[in-house]
Amino acid sequence: MLGNAVSYVGELNMENTGNKQNKENKYKRRKAQRRDWYQLDLSAIVYPTLQRRDFSSVYRLSVLLKEEVRPDVLQQALDMTLPRFPTYKAAIRKGLFWRYLEPNDRPGPFVQEDVKNPCQPMYFKANNRYLVRVYYFRNRIALEAHHSLGDGTGGMCVLMTLTATYLRLLGHEGIENGGFVLDINEAPDEEELEDAYMRYANARVCPPRLEEKAYRVRGTAEPFYTLNIIDGIMSVSEVMAAAKRYGATITEYLNAVLLYALMTKQEEEHRARQRPVKIAMPVNLRRFFPSITLRNFITMIFPGIDPRLGDYTFEEIVQQVHNYMRYYINEKLLRGDITTNAATQRNPFIRVVPLFIKDFVVRLFYTKVQDRNSSAGLTNMGALKVPEGMKACIDRFDIYMGQPFSRRTNCAIISFEDVLTINFASSIIEADVERYFFRRLVKDGIHVKIESNRD
Amino acid sequence: MSYCVNCGVELDASAQKCPLCNTPVWNPGELEKQVSGKDAMPPFPREKSQVETANRKDFGLLMSMVVLATAATCGILNALVFRGTLWSLSVIGACAVLWVILIPVMIYTKQSIYVSLLYDGIVVVLYLYILTFQVGSREWFFGLGLPITALVTFITEVFTVCVCRLPRSFLTVSLYLFTGAGLLCLGLEMLIDWYLMGEIALSWSAVVLTVCAILDIALITMLSRRRLRNEVRRRLHF
Repeated sequence: MLGNAVSYVGELNMENTGNKQNKENKYKRRKAQRRDWYQLDLSAIVYPTLQRRDFSSVYRLSVLLKEEVRPDVLQQALDMTLPRFPTYKAAIRKGLFWRYLEPNDRPGPFVQEDVKNPCQPMYFKANNRYLVRVYYFRNRIALEAHHSLGDGTGGMCVLMTLTATYLRLLGHEGIENGGFVLDINEAPDEEELEDAYMRYANARVCPPRLEEKAYRVRGTAEPFYTLNIIDGIMSVSEVMAAAKRYGATITEYLNAVLLYALMTKQEEEHRARQRPVKIAMPVNLRRFFPSITLRNFITMIFPGIDPRLGDYTFEEIVQQVHNYMRYYINEKLLRGDITTNAATQRNPFIRVVPLFIKDFVVRLFYTKVQDRNSSAGLTNMGALKVPEGMKACIDRFDIYMGQPFSRRTNCAIISFEDVLTINFASSIIEADVERYFFRRLVKDGIHVKIESNRD
Repeated sequence: MSYCVNCGVELDASAQKCPLCNTPVWNPGELEKQVSGKDAMPPFPREKSQVETANRKDFGLLMSMVVLATAATCGILNALVFRGTLWSLSVIGACAVLWVILIPVMIYTKQSIYVSLLYDGIVVVLYLYILTFQVGSREWFFGLGLPITALVTFITEVFTVCVCRLPRSFLTVSLYLFTGAGLLCLGLEMLIDWYLMGEIALSWSAVVLTVCAILDIALITMLSRRRLRNEVRRRLHF
């Protein structure tokens, strides 16, 4: 999914070479430079309201290099890179009606040694008000960012640009800018900082959303500060071959495997009343709506099955997911979806409601409706492309959706060259869903290597 | 290289058990390494870290200095400029109340809520006592101020204990709230009557108490009957 976005970003960068456009871009960049605050985008409005003492919407992206990381050089690279991303070098503030981002010139953020329990809550007033953290551990560089700053694509741009700068400082030559690696000497483009939702939320109707409570995994909560991670590392070609056998893409196949794992878990629990099993899956809208924004530009879809209708074979689940994706992932329905989302924010009566009331209502809606609408989260960043000069230095990438809002499991997928990594993050003791998931992959002939931070 | 015998997945060299099914790793070819843990580099760090909390101490210090400066300035003004009455005592008292209320919020956030409430009660009593120097009479303090503050503090403490220690739901919190409100009104009227008339003749508080008692009985019935409780939850869910 994200591979297309990457190539699109690359194409746009190349297109911008024309003289006329250069002038236009210079104007835009100057304008971007002058801004001293940023409105939160449509998705970002929600994340701060969900902030609790033990929860923040933090995701984590990491890159595994082939050599040990030098923290002093990494800090230098970070200091050079972050000013290129003004919405990441920012602090979140409260207004009377909305929150907003403002440039943060305090010292930091500082690179720190990685910890066993990543994606910890990120308090807005802590860490010198920065909403990003950078960790290192042996040959791994990890970036944690609050979702109110941007989505995985934006975060990946920061991480890749940081990694490229780091490698250049170490003397690696031939690392070109392009794709996720942006030019740190260039001023940010206005379009990178825009709320792209508002540009494309222009359908003539707001389609209603069908919402039904989904099955929720029952598990024993881990103590605060614990995030259980299980990484599955496998070969892209093996997964692709397995997916092809079922006539599906990798995303559809892995979605189906997760649905199968959740369905099995629900069956094992012998509940009197079964519920539909659904997955919340973010779709990168850059694939459908041209934008180079580094902020949030995703929408959620909910592929699922309803075991109350009868028993599903695995093949039927794959077919169901395949058909669902074909039907829902298209420009028209996605435009309708973001228009529905934007309608609330555009409503003048809602706009003038004080922030604390909005917070209360949004939190209530999310807890009572949105969070119960899915059984697990799954995101696929797709095949990551890096500049040729960087390929030799990188082993693999990892991505974690972060701590789930409720007791459940989140799954994130990313691939680089022939290495596909599936990262599960959960805050419950039981690893049943993960077990069913990986056993299914093994059954389909995929060699899986497991790494975990569990004791 | 070890594999889980149950799951069929390859495990990391440092793994002592399969993270998916907890089956212990037993590799006959690498027994020595497994026992000694040599060459086993875990893929994740072993150290946990704590969340960095926002530093409110600086703000707490600032607020303390502002409160202290206000109290001191008013005291000096009262002593040197506006000397007619002891008006500064009420300002100094108010500053003390504000500071004590701010302690758990800004200065010592780990302070128990029960201790905080007790301190709040004590500082309000002290403030009322300070006011007696301005009014010139202490009768109202011992007859009304002290007992009412003690009653409010006691009921708030009991309410907090119930909310924090007993099972908490929308229905139970409502039960504690109505019980507390009824008892508070009853106590207030008894104290006021005793102070003003020297005898207790209940009137308005009896009405409040009756309403609270009816609501409490309804809530207790709902809590004790699961079917009824579920029905109420279903109809009132939000």
